[in-house]
Amino acid sequence: MAPYNDLDSLSVNPVEHSLIPLLQLGAKIGFYLLAGITLFGALGVVLTRNLFHSALCLAAALIGIAGVYLYLGAEFLAVVQVLVYVGAILTLLIFGIMLTAKIGDPSIPQLNRITGVAALLCAAFALALFLAVKHSQVLTYSFSRIVPLAALGQGLVTTYILPFEILSLILVGALVGAIVIARREGPGE
Amino acid sequence: MIPLGHFLILSILLFCIGLFGALSRRNSIAILMSIELILNATVLNLVAFNATVKNSPSADGQTLGLFVIGIAAAGAIVGLALIFSIWRQTRNIFSDEITLLKG
Repeated sequence: MAPYNDLDSLSVNPVEHSLIPLLQLGAKIGFYLLAGITLFGALGVVLTRNLFHSALCLAAALIGIAGVYLYLGAEFLAVVQVLVYVGAILTLLIFGIMLTAKIGDPSIPQLNRITGVAALLCAAFALALFLAVKHSQVLTYSFSRIVPLAALGQGLVTTYILPFEILSLILVGALVGAIVIARREGPGE
Repeated sequence: MIPLGHFLILSILLFCIGLFGALSRRNSIAILMSIELILNATVLNLVAFNATVKNSPSADGQTLGLFVIGIAAAGAIVGLALIFSIWRQTRNIFSDEITLLKG
């Protein structure tokens, strides 16, 4: 795999040696800021009463995740995340909220009866997963590699060509199915 | 550098917040949004692990993440269409009040 070697060598920046710790500190602060934005956005999605505010919090969370992708060197996925989620799915969700939900009525409860049990279950699940991560070796690894964009593109047209094409079929099928399900029944109604 | 574990913990928290939302919200659109959070947590895991594997130029994790995003888009579209259809027939999208199939 010779073509990737020169791409890898790009990761060595010709920056002044004294600046590197400062840049690393900045990158760390940036990551924790992004993680905080993402988590607060996610909590807002779940806990806000007004559904429209939930959708805006979801936008914040999704953009935060796109920033984390950028941090991990996955530029293409970050762009796809912003285009597909924030651009398309979120617009659809906001249309759906405005067409259906009675937002703004504070007397309607937004959480169902099993909320307490669900919160306990999720906290226990989070604790179990956290312990699993803590006791495994992976916690000490640190990512050290820039995944070249060319590898992603080459994989999509060679190894993963069949799933890629099937995905396009699934999208077409979902679009047609959604139109059939959501349209009005009968011409007169 | 940030260790991989911190990405995994971010992913765990996102997943569990989404799971809580999917289990406890009444509004169907809110449940859809929570499911999007869960799917995002899994894609974050895939991308983080892909950036950690050494000595290989493959982008398998990112490719899988791309597929997950595509399937999630299809799922959200169909889910919203179903919610519209239910709204038109019953004027109600609260998931614990839709009991048409209960008999």
